[in-house]
Amino acid sequence: MASSIIWYLREFIRGEWITKFFTVKTAPLVTPPHFRGFPTLTDRECTHCLACMMICPAPDAIEVLETDGVWKPVVYPGHCIRCGLCVEACPEDVLTAGELLSVQKEDQTSFESAFHLTIDPVLCSRCGNCAVACPINKEIDPYLGGTGTAFSDEVIMRITNGEMRIINPEKCTGCKTCEETCSNHAIRVARVVVGVQEGWK
Amino acid sequence: MKKTVDVSLPIGPVHPVFKEPCRIKCETSGEYVINAELELGYVKKGIERIMVGRPWQEVMFLAERVCGICSVIHNYVCIEGMERINGVAVPDRAAYLRLVVNELDRIQSHLLANYSYCYTIEHETLAMYLLNLRETAMDALEYITGARVTCSYIIPGGVRFDLSPEKEQKLRTMIDHIDSELTRFVRMFEGGSLIALRSKDVGTFSREEAIESHAVGPTARASNLDNDCRLFHPTYQKLGFESVLLDEGDNYARIMLRFLEVFQSTQLIRSALDSMEKGTIRGGGEIGGGFAEWAGEAPRGELTYTIDTDEHGRVKKIGIRTPSIMNIEACVHYMIKGVHSSADVTSTYISSDPCIACNER
Repeated sequence: MASSIIWYLREFIRGEWITKFFTVKTAPLVTPPHFRGFPTLTDRECTHCLACMMICPAPDAIEVLETDGVWKPVVYPGHCIRCGLCVEACPEDVLTAGELLSVQKEDQTSFESAFHLTIDPVLCSRCGNCAVACPINKEIDPYLGGTGTAFSDEVIMRITNGEMRIINPEKCTGCKTCEETCSNHAIRVARVVVGVQEGWK
Repeated sequence: MKKTVDVSLPIGPVHPVFKEPCRIKCETSGEYVINAELELGYVKKGIERIMVGRPWQEVMFLAERVCGICSVIHNYVCIEGMERINGVAVPDRAAYLRLVVNELDRIQSHLLANYSYCYTIEHETLAMYLLNLRETAMDALEYITGARVTCSYIIPGGVRFDLSPEKEQKLRTMIDHIDSELTRFVRMFEGGSLIALRSKDVGTFSREEAIESHAVGPTARASNLDNDCRLFHPTYQKLGFESVLLDEGDNYARIMLRFLEVFQSTQLIRSALDSMEKGTIRGGGEIGGGFAEWAGEAPRGELTYTIDTDEHGRVKKIGIRTPSIMNIEACVHYMIKGVHSSADVTSTYISSDPCIACNER
Protein backbone atom coordinates (compact mmCIF):
# COMPACT_ATOMS: atom_id res chain seq x y z
CA MET A 1 0.00 0.00 0.00
CA ALA A 2 2.66 2.48 1.11
CA SER A 3 4.88 1.52 -1.81
CA SER A 4 2.00 2.23 -4.19
CA ILE A 5 1.53 5.73 -2.76
CA ILE A 6 5.25 6.38 -2.99
CA TRP A 7 5.19 5.23 -6.61
CA TYR A 8 2.38 7.64 -7.43
CA LEU A 9 4.13 10.51 -5.72
CA ARG A 10 7.32 9.75 -7.61
CA GLU A 11 5.38 9.54 -10.86
CA PHE A 12 3.67 12.87 -10.30
CA ILE A 13 6.69 14.93 -9.22
CA ARG A 14 8.65 14.11 -12.34
CA GLY A 15 9.51 17.34 -14.14
CA GLU A 16 8.22 15.88 -17.40
CA TRP A 17 4.85 15.05 -15.83
CA ILE A 18 4.42 18.50 -14.27
CA THR A 19 5.30 20.40 -17.45
CA LYS A 20 3.01 18.13 -19.44
CA PHE A 21 0.19 18.67 -16.95
CA PHE A 22 0.29 22.45 -17.32
CA THR A 23 1.18 22.79 -20.98
CA VAL A 24 -0.60 19.86 -22.57
CA LYS A 25 -2.59 20.58 -25.71
CA THR A 26 -4.63 18.35 -27.94
CA ALA A 27 -2.80 17.90 -31.18
CA PRO A 28 -4.61 19.53 -34.12
CA LEU A 29 -6.64 17.12 -36.19
CA VAL A 30 -4.84 17.02 -39.51
CA THR A 31 -4.62 14.22 -42.02
CA PRO A 32 -0.96 13.23 -42.33
CA PRO A 33 0.41 13.25 -45.89
CA HIS A 34 1.23 9.52 -45.76
CA PHE A 35 -2.38 8.58 -45.00
CA ARG A 36 -3.98 6.52 -47.75
CA GLY A 37 -7.36 8.21 -48.18
CA PHE A 38 -10.05 7.98 -50.84
CA PRO A 39 -8.56 8.19 -54.34
CA THR A 40 -8.81 11.64 -55.92
CA LEU A 41 -8.23 12.72 -59.48
CA THR A 42 -5.02 14.26 -60.76
CA ASP A 43 -5.09 16.39 -63.90
CA ARG A 44 -3.89 13.51 -66.11
CA GLU A 45 -6.18 12.26 -68.83
CA CYS A 46 -8.06 8.98 -68.38
CA THR A 47 -7.75 6.59 -71.32
CA HIS A 48 -10.72 4.43 -70.35
CA CYS A 49 -8.60 1.28 -69.95
CA LEU A 50 -10.63 0.24 -66.84
CA ALA A 51 -7.54 -1.08 -64.99
CA CYS A 52 -8.80 0.59 -61.80
CA MET A 53 -12.22 -1.05 -62.03
CA MET A 54 -10.75 -4.47 -62.75
CA ILE A 55 -8.46 -4.54 -59.70
CA CYS A 56 -10.90 -3.01 -57.20
CA PRO A 57 -11.66 -5.55 -54.41
CA ALA A 58 -14.78 -3.74 -53.18
CA PRO A 59 -18.04 -4.16 -55.05
CA ASP A 60 -19.16 -1.04 -57.00
CA ALA A 61 -16.56 1.23 -55.43
CA ILE A 62 -15.16 2.72 -58.62
CA GLU A 63 -16.63 3.36 -62.06
CA VAL A 64 -15.28 5.01 -65.19
CA LEU A 65 -17.97 7.32 -66.57
CA GLU A 66 -18.21 9.56 -69.59
CA THR A 67 -19.33 13.16 -69.14
CA ASP A 68 -19.25 15.53 -72.14
CA GLY A 69 -17.07 13.13 -74.08
CA VAL A 70 -14.44 12.85 -71.33
CA TRP A 71 -13.87 9.60 -69.46
CA LYS A 72 -13.24 9.93 -65.74
CA PRO A 73 -13.09 7.48 -62.84
CA VAL A 74 -15.66 8.13 -60.13
CA VAL A 75 -15.08 6.79 -56.59
CA TYR A 76 -18.03 6.04 -54.33
CA PRO A 77 -16.84 6.72 -50.75
CA GLY A 78 -19.51 4.51 -49.19
CA HIS A 79 -18.14 1.46 -51.00
CA CYS A 80 -14.44 2.29 -51.22
CA ILE A 81 -12.21 0.55 -48.65
CA ARG A 82 -9.24 2.85 -49.32
CA CYS A 83 -6.88 0.04 -50.27
CA GLY A 84 -5.19 2.12 -52.97
CA LEU A 85 -4.96 -0.72 -55.50
CA CYS A 86 -6.60 1.43 -58.22
CA VAL A 87 -3.94 4.09 -57.77
CA GLU A 88 -1.23 1.49 -58.22
CA ALA A 89 -2.94 -0.23 -61.14
CA CYS A 90 -3.58 2.93 -63.20
CA PRO A 91 -0.98 3.14 -65.99
CA GLU A 92 -1.67 6.84 -66.61
CA ASP A 93 -1.46 8.12 -62.99
CA VAL A 94 -4.99 9.50 -63.14
CA LEU A 95 -5.67 8.73 -59.48
CA THR A 96 -3.82 9.57 -56.30
CA ALA A 97 -4.34 8.88 -52.59
CA GLY A 98 -2.13 10.69 -50.14
CA GLU A 99 1.56 10.11 -50.78
CA LEU A 100 0.80 6.83 -52.49
CA LEU A 101 1.37 7.94 -56.08
CA SER A 102 4.76 9.55 -55.41
CA VAL A 103 5.89 6.60 -53.25
CA GLN A 104 4.89 4.21 -56.00
CA LYS A 105 6.86 6.20 -58.57
CA GLU A 106 9.89 6.16 -56.30
CA ASP A 107 9.69 2.39 -55.75
CA GLN A 108 8.71 1.78 -59.41
CA THR A 109 6.03 -0.67 -58.34
CA SER A 110 2.84 -1.57 -60.17
CA PHE A 111 0.37 -4.37 -60.80
CA GLU A 112 0.07 -6.51 -63.90
CA SER A 113 -3.31 -8.03 -64.69
CA ALA A 114 -4.32 -10.96 -66.88
CA PHE A 115 -7.80 -12.33 -67.46
CA HIS A 116 -8.82 -15.91 -68.07
CA LEU A 117 -12.20 -17.14 -69.27
CA THR A 118 -13.41 -20.59 -68.29
CA ILE A 119 -16.63 -22.30 -69.32
CA ASP A 120 -18.05 -25.27 -67.51
CA PRO A 121 -19.56 -27.39 -70.37
CA VAL A 122 -21.82 -29.23 -67.93
CA LEU A 123 -23.47 -26.06 -66.66
CA CYS A 124 -23.50 -24.20 -70.01
CA SER A 125 -26.88 -24.27 -71.76
CA ARG A 126 -25.48 -22.75 -75.02
CA CYS A 127 -27.90 -19.82 -74.81
CA GLY A 128 -25.24 -17.39 -76.06
CA ASN A 129 -26.22 -14.63 -73.62
CA CYS A 130 -22.58 -14.08 -72.67
CA ALA A 131 -21.48 -13.55 -76.29
CA VAL A 132 -24.30 -11.05 -76.87
CA ALA A 133 -23.74 -9.15 -73.63
CA CYS A 134 -19.94 -8.89 -73.97
CA PRO A 135 -19.09 -5.20 -74.65
CA ILE A 136 -15.93 -6.13 -76.58
CA ASN A 137 -17.92 -8.47 -78.82
CA LYS A 138 -20.38 -5.65 -79.50
CA GLU A 139 -17.59 -3.34 -80.56
CA ILE A 140 -15.99 -5.92 -82.85
CA ASP A 141 -19.19 -7.16 -84.44
CA PRO A 142 -22.15 -4.78 -83.99
CA TYR A 143 -24.32 -7.30 -85.79
CA LEU A 144 -23.81 -9.77 -82.88
CA GLY A 145 -25.16 -7.30 -80.34
CA GLY A 146 -28.26 -6.68 -82.43
CA THR A 147 -29.19 -10.11 -83.65
CA GLY A 148 -27.27 -12.64 -81.59
CA THR A 149 -25.61 -14.13 -84.66
CA ALA A 150 -21.92 -13.52 -85.27
CA PHE A 151 -20.11 -13.94 -88.55
CA SER A 152 -16.79 -12.50 -87.40
CA ASP A 153 -13.89 -14.64 -86.21
CA GLU A 154 -12.51 -11.68 -84.27
CA VAL A 155 -14.96 -11.89 -81.34
CA ILE A 156 -13.93 -13.23 -77.93
CA MET A 157 -16.50 -16.02 -77.81
CA ARG A 158 -19.48 -17.23 -79.79
CA ILE A 159 -21.56 -20.33 -80.38
CA THR A 160 -20.09 -22.53 -83.09
CA ASN A 161 -21.67 -25.85 -84.05
CA GLY A 162 -23.83 -25.84 -80.95
CA GLU A 163 -20.88 -25.36 -78.59
CA MET A 164 -19.81 -22.22 -76.74
CA ARG A 165 -16.28 -21.54 -77.92
CA ILE A 166 -13.74 -19.00 -76.73
CA ILE A 167 -11.92 -17.82 -79.85
CA ASN A 168 -9.85 -14.82 -78.76
CA PRO A 169 -9.39 -14.98 -74.96
CA GLU A 170 -6.59 -12.38 -75.01
CA LYS A 171 -9.08 -9.62 -75.90
CA CYS A 172 -10.95 -9.99 -72.61
CA THR A 173 -10.74 -6.91 -70.35
CA GLY A 174 -12.07 -8.72 -67.27
CA CYS A 175 -15.30 -6.75 -66.91
CA LYS A 176 -17.31 -9.84 -65.84
CA THR A 177 -20.42 -8.78 -67.82
CA CYS A 178 -20.66 -12.33 -69.22
CA GLU A 179 -20.42 -13.80 -65.71
CA GLU A 180 -23.24 -11.57 -64.50
CA THR A 181 -25.44 -12.37 -67.54
CA CYS A 182 -24.99 -16.15 -67.33
CA SER A 183 -28.01 -17.72 -65.72
CA ASN A 184 -26.18 -20.96 -64.87
CA HIS A 185 -22.88 -19.58 -63.50
CA ALA A 186 -21.18 -21.53 -66.28
CA ILE A 187 -18.82 -18.85 -67.58
CA ARG A 188 -16.34 -17.39 -65.14
CA VAL A 189 -13.67 -14.73 -65.43
CA ALA A 190 -10.48 -15.02 -63.39
CA ARG A 191 -8.65 -11.79 -62.69
CA VAL A 192 -5.03 -12.74 -62.10
CA VAL A 193 -2.99 -9.92 -60.60
CA VAL A 194 0.77 -9.90 -60.03
CA GLY A 195 2.57 -7.21 -58.05
CA VAL A 196 5.70 -6.21 -59.93
CA GLN A 197 8.64 -3.89 -59.54
CA GLU A 198 10.96 -2.49 -62.19
CA GLY A 199 14.00 -4.74 -62.52
CA TRP A 200 12.50 -7.71 -60.69
CA LYS A 201 13.18 -10.22 -63.44
CA MET B 1 -15.56 -30.38 -23.67
CA LYS B 2 -19.00 -28.85 -23.10
CA LYS B 3 -19.91 -29.00 -19.45
CA THR B 4 -23.15 -28.37 -17.67
CA VAL B 5 -23.27 -25.65 -15.08
CA ASP B 6 -25.97 -24.52 -12.72
CA VAL B 7 -25.83 -20.84 -13.64
CA SER B 8 -25.91 -18.53 -10.69
CA LEU B 9 -23.75 -15.71 -12.08
CA PRO B 10 -24.18 -14.90 -15.77
CA ILE B 11 -21.72 -12.32 -17.14
CA GLY B 12 -22.29 -10.75 -20.53
CA PRO B 13 -23.01 -10.59 -23.45
CA VAL B 14 -23.13 -6.89 -22.57
CA HIS B 15 -20.75 -5.93 -19.81
CA PRO B 16 -18.65 -2.79 -19.25
CA VAL B 17 -15.30 -4.62 -19.43
CA PHE B 18 -16.12 -6.78 -22.43
CA LYS B 19 -14.95 -5.31 -25.70
CA GLU B 20 -16.87 -7.94 -27.63
CA PRO B 21 -19.95 -9.95 -26.77
CA CYS B 22 -19.85 -13.40 -25.19
CA ARG B 23 -21.47 -14.90 -22.12
CA ILE B 24 -19.69 -16.51 -19.21
CA LYS B 25 -21.99 -18.62 -17.07
CA CYS B 26 -20.60 -19.27 -13.60
CA GLU B 27 -21.75 -21.66 -10.94
CA THR B 28 -20.88 -20.02 -7.66
CA SER B 29 -20.98 -20.64 -3.96
CA GLY B 30 -21.08 -17.18 -2.42
CA GLU B 31 -18.61 -15.51 -4.74
CA TYR B 32 -16.32 -18.53 -5.09
CA VAL B 33 -16.57 -19.89 -8.63
CA ILE B 34 -17.06 -23.66 -8.67
CA ASN B 35 -17.53 -24.11 -12.37
CA ALA B 36 -17.89 -22.01 -15.50
CA GLU B 37 -19.09 -22.35 -19.06
CA LEU B 38 -18.90 -20.14 -22.10
CA GLU B 39 -21.48 -19.20 -24.68
CA LEU B 40 -20.30 -17.84 -28.03
CA GLY B 41 -21.99 -16.94 -31.29
CA TYR B 42 -23.09 -13.34 -30.98
CA VAL B 43 -21.04 -11.83 -33.85
CA LYS B 44 -20.75 -14.51 -36.53
CA LYS B 45 -19.77 -12.90 -39.85
CA GLY B 46 -19.20 -15.84 -42.23
CA ILE B 47 -16.05 -14.38 -43.81
CA GLU B 48 -14.72 -17.78 -44.94
CA ARG B 49 -17.80 -18.30 -47.07
CA ILE B 50 -17.47 -14.82 -48.62
CA MET B 51 -13.85 -15.60 -49.54
CA VAL B 52 -14.81 -18.57 -51.71
CA GLY B 53 -14.43 -17.92 -55.44
CA ARG B 54 -12.29 -14.83 -55.02
CA PRO B 55 -8.65 -14.21 -56.01
CA TRP B 56 -5.94 -13.04 -53.61
CA GLN B 57 -6.48 -9.34 -54.21
CA GLU B 58 -9.96 -9.68 -52.71
CA VAL B 59 -9.28 -12.40 -50.14
CA MET B 60 -6.43 -10.41 -48.63
CA PHE B 61 -8.74 -7.55 -47.65
CA LEU B 62 -11.36 -9.92 -46.28
CA ALA B 63 -8.71 -11.71 -44.23
CA GLU B 64 -7.65 -8.40 -42.73
CA ARG B 65 -11.18 -7.71 -41.69
CA VAL B 66 -11.49 -10.93 -39.68
CA CYS B 67 -10.06 -9.08 -36.71
CA GLY B 68 -9.41 -5.40 -36.17
CA ILE B 69 -6.70 -5.78 -33.55
CA CYS B 70 -4.46 -8.32 -35.28
CA SER B 71 -5.21 -7.46 -38.91
CA VAL B 72 -1.60 -7.61 -40.12
CA ILE B 73 -1.03 -11.21 -39.06
CA HIS B 74 -4.16 -12.35 -40.91
CA ASN B 75 -2.85 -10.69 -44.05
CA TYR B 76 0.62 -12.17 -43.40
CA VAL B 77 -0.47 -15.77 -42.86
CA CYS B 78 -3.08 -15.73 -45.63
CA ILE B 79 -0.64 -14.44 -48.24
CA GLU B 80 2.27 -16.64 -47.07
CA GLY B 81 -0.05 -19.63 -47.25
CA MET B 82 -1.00 -18.75 -50.83
CA GLU B 83 2.67 -18.27 -51.71
CA ARG B 84 3.37 -21.79 -50.47
CA ILE B 85 1.00 -23.21 -53.13
CA ASN B 86 3.21 -22.09 -56.02
CA GLY B 87 6.47 -21.57 -54.20
CA VAL B 88 6.53 -17.81 -54.83
CA ALA B 89 9.85 -16.46 -53.62
CA VAL B 90 10.02 -13.27 -51.56
CA PRO B 91 12.97 -10.84 -51.76
CA ASP B 92 14.98 -10.53 -48.53
CA ARG B 93 14.10 -6.89 -48.00
CA ALA B 94 10.39 -7.61 -48.35
CA ALA B 95 10.64 -10.49 -45.84
CA TYR B 96 12.22 -8.17 -43.26
CA LEU B 97 9.66 -5.42 -43.95
CA ARG B 98 6.87 -7.94 -43.35
CA LEU B 99 8.46 -8.82 -40.03
CA VAL B 100 8.76 -5.15 -39.03
CA VAL B 101 5.09 -4.45 -39.71
CA ASN B 102 3.99 -7.68 -38.02
CA GLU B 103 5.98 -6.86 -34.88
CA LEU B 104 4.58 -3.32 -34.78
CA ASP B 105 1.12 -4.86 -34.93
CA ARG B 106 2.05 -7.22 -32.09
CA ILE B 107 3.24 -4.26 -30.01
CA GLN B 108 -0.04 -2.40 -30.40
CA SER B 109 -2.10 -5.54 -29.76
CA HIS B 110 -0.19 -6.44 -26.58
CA LEU B 111 -0.42 -2.86 -25.31
CA LEU B 112 -4.16 -2.87 -25.93
CA ALA B 113 -4.53 -6.20 -24.11
CA ASN B 114 -2.61 -4.88 -21.13
CA TYR B 115 -4.62 -1.66 -21.22
CA SER B 116 -7.81 -3.74 -21.00
CA TYR B 117 -6.47 -5.67 -18.04
CA CYS B 118 -5.39 -2.53 -16.14
CA TYR B 119 -8.77 -0.99 -16.92
CA THR B 120 -10.56 -4.09 -15.64
CA ILE B 121 -8.71 -4.01 -12.32
CA GLU B 122 -9.57 -0.29 -12.17
CA HIS B 123 -6.03 0.99 -12.52
CA GLU B 124 -7.04 3.69 -14.98
CA THR B 125 -3.84 5.72 -14.76
CA LEU B 126 -1.68 2.91 -16.05
CA ALA B 127 -4.39 1.88 -18.51
CA MET B 128 -4.50 5.32 -20.11
CA TYR B 129 -0.69 5.56 -20.15
CA LEU B 130 -0.57 2.28 -22.07
CA LEU B 131 -3.30 3.34 -24.46
CA ASN B 132 -1.45 6.58 -25.10
CA LEU B 133 1.74 4.65 -25.83
CA ARG B 134 -0.17 2.38 -28.19
CA GLU B 135 -0.83 5.44 -30.36
CA THR B 136 2.90 5.63 -31.08
CA ALA B 137 2.82 2.08 -32.45
CA MET B 138 -0.30 2.88 -34.47
CA ASP B 139 1.33 6.01 -35.87
CA ALA B 140 4.38 3.97 -36.84
CA LEU B 141 2.13 1.51 -38.66
CA GLU B 142 0.38 4.35 -40.46
CA TYR B 143 3.71 5.90 -41.30
CA ILE B 144 4.92 2.76 -43.08
CA THR B 145 1.71 1.41 -44.60
CA GLY B 146 -0.62 4.40 -44.93
CA ALA B 147 -3.33 3.05 -42.64
CA ARG B 148 -3.60 2.38 -38.92
CA VAL B 149 -5.55 -0.85 -38.83
CA THR B 150 -6.28 -2.27 -42.28
CA CYS B 151 -2.73 -1.87 -43.50
CA SER B 152 -3.04 -4.17 -46.57
CA TYR B 153 0.73 -4.17 -46.75
CA ILE B 154 1.63 -7.75 -47.66
CA ILE B 155 0.98 -9.05 -51.19
CA PRO B 156 2.17 -12.25 -52.91
CA GLY B 157 5.84 -11.91 -53.75
CA GLY B 158 6.59 -8.98 -51.49
CA VAL B 159 5.15 -5.88 -49.87
CA ARG B 160 3.47 -2.77 -51.19
CA PHE B 161 5.69 0.08 -50.06
CA ASP B 162 9.39 0.46 -49.45
CA LEU B 163 10.90 2.01 -46.33
CA SER B 164 13.01 5.02 -47.27
CA PRO B 165 16.05 5.92 -45.12
CA GLU B 166 14.24 8.95 -43.63
CA LYS B 167 11.25 6.81 -42.71
CA GLU B 168 13.56 4.20 -41.21
CA GLN B 169 15.20 6.86 -39.05
CA LYS B 170 11.83 8.09 -37.82
CA LEU B 171 10.71 4.52 -37.14
CA ARG B 172 13.79 3.98 -35.00
CA THR B 173 13.01 7.03 -32.88
CA MET B 174 9.43 5.81 -32.45
CA ILE B 175 10.66 2.39 -31.32
CA ASP B 176 13.10 4.02 -28.87
CA HIS B 177 10.23 6.10 -27.49
CA ILE B 178 8.11 2.98 -26.94
CA ASP B 179 11.02 1.26 -25.19
CA SER B 180 11.85 4.12 -22.82
CA GLU B 181 8.24 4.89 -21.89
CA LEU B 182 7.28 1.27 -21.41
CA THR B 183 10.22 0.63 -19.06
CA ARG B 184 8.64 3.14 -16.69
CA PHE B 185 5.16 1.62 -16.97
CA VAL B 186 6.45 -1.90 -16.40
CA ARG B 187 8.19 -0.73 -13.21
CA MET B 188 4.87 0.79 -12.15
CA PHE B 189 3.13 -2.53 -12.81
CA GLU B 190 5.80 -4.57 -11.03
CA GLY B 191 6.04 -2.31 -8.00
CA GLY B 192 2.34 -1.66 -7.47
CA SER B 193 1.31 -3.62 -4.40
CA LEU B 194 -2.39 -3.13 -5.12
CA ILE B 195 -1.90 -4.46 -8.64
CA ALA B 196 -0.16 -7.47 -7.12
CA LEU B 197 -3.12 -8.07 -4.79
CA ARG B 198 -5.46 -8.27 -7.77
CA SER B 199 -3.11 -10.21 -10.05
CA LYS B 200 -0.70 -12.52 -8.26
CA ASP B 201 -2.02 -16.05 -7.66
CA VAL B 202 -5.33 -15.17 -9.31
CA GLY B 203 -6.48 -17.34 -12.21
CA THR B 204 -3.61 -19.80 -11.95
CA PHE B 205 -2.99 -22.03 -14.92
CA SER B 206 -0.39 -24.79 -14.64
CA ARG B 207 1.75 -26.22 -17.45
CA GLU B 208 -0.17 -29.51 -17.34
CA GLU B 209 -3.47 -27.69 -17.69
CA ALA B 210 -2.05 -25.68 -20.57
CA ILE B 211 -1.08 -28.87 -22.39
CA GLU B 212 -4.44 -30.48 -21.63
CA SER B 213 -6.46 -27.50 -22.88
CA HIS B 214 -4.21 -26.85 -25.95
CA ALA B 215 -3.62 -23.26 -24.88
CA VAL B 216 -1.52 -21.19 -27.29
CA GLY B 217 0.32 -17.89 -27.42
CA PRO B 218 1.12 -15.71 -24.39
CA THR B 219 -1.43 -17.61 -22.29
CA ALA B 220 0.54 -20.84 -22.74
CA ARG B 221 3.94 -19.18 -22.57
CA ALA B 222 3.11 -17.61 -19.21
CA SER B 223 2.67 -21.22 -17.98
CA ASN B 224 6.07 -22.21 -19.37
CA LEU B 225 4.70 -23.99 -22.43
CA ASP B 226 6.82 -23.03 -25.41
CA ASN B 227 4.75 -23.15 -28.59
CA ASP B 228 5.71 -19.97 -30.41
CA CYS B 229 5.21 -20.34 -34.18
CA ARG B 230 7.83 -17.70 -34.82
CA LEU B 231 10.43 -20.34 -33.90
CA PHE B 232 9.64 -22.09 -37.19
CA HIS B 233 9.42 -19.02 -39.42
CA PRO B 234 12.45 -18.59 -41.73
CA THR B 235 12.75 -14.79 -41.26
CA TYR B 236 12.55 -15.02 -37.49
CA GLN B 237 15.05 -17.89 -37.49
CA LYS B 238 17.50 -15.65 -39.37
CA LEU B 239 17.29 -13.12 -36.55
CA GLY B 240 17.87 -15.83 -33.92
CA PHE B 241 14.43 -15.63 -32.34
CA GLU B 242 13.89 -17.17 -28.93
CA SER B 243 10.54 -17.10 -27.18
CA VAL B 244 9.94 -15.48 -23.80
CA LEU B 245 8.73 -17.84 -21.08
CA LEU B 246 7.42 -17.35 -17.55
CA ASP B 247 6.58 -19.94 -14.88
CA GLU B 248 3.84 -18.60 -12.65
CA GLY B 249 0.79 -18.93 -14.92
CA ASP B 250 -1.32 -16.36 -13.06
CA ASN B 251 -2.81 -13.09 -14.29
CA TYR B 252 0.35 -11.22 -13.31
CA ALA B 253 2.55 -13.54 -15.37
CA ARG B 254 0.34 -13.24 -18.44
CA ILE B 255 0.42 -9.44 -18.37
CA MET B 256 4.14 -9.37 -17.57
CA LEU B 257 4.82 -11.74 -20.47
CA ARG B 258 3.10 -9.37 -22.87
CA PHE B 259 5.22 -6.49 -21.60
CA LEU B 260 8.34 -8.58 -22.09
CA GLU B 261 7.22 -9.53 -25.59
CA VAL B 262 6.83 -5.86 -26.50
CA PHE B 263 10.48 -5.31 -25.55
CA GLN B 264 11.39 -8.38 -27.57
CA SER B 265 9.42 -7.04 -30.55
CA THR B 266 11.19 -3.67 -30.47
CA GLN B 267 14.49 -5.55 -30.38
CA LEU B 268 13.40 -7.69 -33.34
CA ILE B 269 12.42 -4.59 -35.33
CA ARG B 270 15.80 -3.03 -34.62
CA SER B 271 17.73 -6.10 -35.71
CA ALA B 272 15.54 -6.45 -38.80
CA LEU B 273 16.23 -2.83 -39.75
CA ASP B 274 19.95 -3.45 -39.17
CA SER B 275 20.11 -6.58 -41.32
CA MET B 276 17.96 -5.14 -44.12
CA GLU B 277 19.87 -4.41 -47.31
CA LYS B 278 18.80 -2.28 -50.23
CA GLY B 279 16.98 -4.22 -52.91
CA THR B 280 13.67 -4.98 -54.55
CA ILE B 281 10.52 -5.31 -52.49
CA ARG B 282 8.43 -7.27 -54.99
CA GLY B 283 9.45 -10.47 -56.71
CA GLY B 284 6.32 -11.00 -58.79
CA GLY B 285 4.82 -14.48 -58.91
CA GLU B 286 1.37 -15.75 -59.72
CA ILE B 287 -0.81 -17.74 -57.34
CA GLY B 288 -1.71 -21.05 -58.94
CA GLY B 289 -3.90 -23.98 -58.04
CA GLY B 290 -3.24 -26.27 -55.12
CA PHE B 291 -3.48 -26.74 -51.41
CA ALA B 292 -1.51 -25.21 -48.59
CA GLU B 293 -1.63 -24.99 -44.84
CA TRP B 294 0.40 -22.32 -43.10
CA ALA B 295 0.56 -21.12 -39.52
CA GLY B 296 1.90 -17.96 -37.98
CA GLU B 297 2.14 -16.50 -34.51
CA ALA B 298 -0.62 -13.95 -34.00
CA PRO B 299 -0.45 -11.72 -30.90
CA ARG B 300 -2.78 -14.25 -29.24
CA GLY B 301 -1.15 -17.46 -30.45
CA GLU B 302 -1.07 -19.82 -33.37
CA LEU B 303 -3.13 -18.75 -36.40
CA THR B 304 -3.62 -21.33 -39.16
CA TYR B 305 -4.91 -20.86 -42.69
CA THR B 306 -5.89 -23.87 -44.77
CA ILE B 307 -6.25 -22.75 -48.38
CA ASP B 308 -7.38 -24.64 -51.46
CA THR B 309 -7.27 -22.76 -54.79
CA ASP B 310 -8.26 -23.46 -58.40
CA GLU B 311 -5.90 -23.10 -61.39
CA HIS B 312 -6.25 -19.30 -61.58
CA GLY B 313 -5.63 -18.75 -57.88
CA ARG B 314 -9.24 -18.31 -56.81
CA VAL B 315 -10.11 -19.74 -53.42
CA LYS B 316 -12.06 -22.99 -53.59
CA LYS B 317 -12.09 -23.68 -49.90
CA ILE B 318 -10.57 -21.84 -46.99
CA GLY B 319 -10.39 -22.57 -43.28
CA ILE B 320 -9.15 -20.22 -40.61
CA ARG B 321 -8.25 -21.44 -37.14
CA THR B 322 -7.75 -18.61 -34.72
CA PRO B 323 -5.89 -18.79 -31.39
CA SER B 324 -8.58 -17.32 -29.15
CA ILE B 325 -10.87 -20.32 -29.31
CA MET B 326 -8.35 -22.45 -27.39
CA ASN B 327 -7.42 -19.65 -25.04
CA ILE B 328 -11.01 -18.80 -24.12
CA GLU B 329 -11.78 -22.46 -23.44
CA ALA B 330 -8.65 -22.73 -21.32
CA CYS B 331 -9.59 -19.56 -19.50
CA VAL B 332 -13.16 -20.54 -18.72
CA HIS B 333 -12.57 -24.20 -17.87
CA TYR B 334 -9.29 -23.89 -15.98
CA MET B 335 -8.44 -20.33 -14.89
CA ILE B 336 -11.81 -19.00 -13.82
CA LYS B 337 -12.65 -22.17 -11.92
CA GLY B 338 -11.60 -21.49 -8.35
CA VAL B 339 -11.29 -17.70 -8.34
CA HIS B 340 -12.48 -16.18 -5.10
CA SER B 341 -14.55 -13.21 -6.23
CA SER B 342 -16.77 -12.24 -9.13
CA ALA B 343 -14.53 -9.25 -9.85
CA ASP B 344 -11.69 -11.66 -10.54
CA VAL B 345 -13.77 -13.52 -13.10
CA THR B 346 -13.71 -10.58 -15.51
CA SER B 347 -10.08 -9.69 -14.86
CA THR B 348 -8.98 -13.31 -15.38
CA TYR B 349 -11.00 -13.49 -18.56
CA ILE B 350 -9.42 -10.28 -19.89
CA SER B 351 -5.93 -11.46 -18.89
CA SER B 352 -6.18 -14.32 -21.40
CA ASP B 353 -6.71 -11.66 -24.11
CA PRO B 354 -9.81 -13.09 -25.79
CA CYS B 355 -10.72 -11.95 -29.29
CA ILE B 356 -14.30 -12.85 -30.15
CA ALA B 357 -14.16 -11.28 -33.62
CA CYS B 358 -11.35 -13.69 -34.60
CA ASN B 359 -13.20 -16.59 -33.03
CA GLU B 360 -16.45 -16.17 -34.84
CA ARG B 361 -15.03 -14.63 -38.06
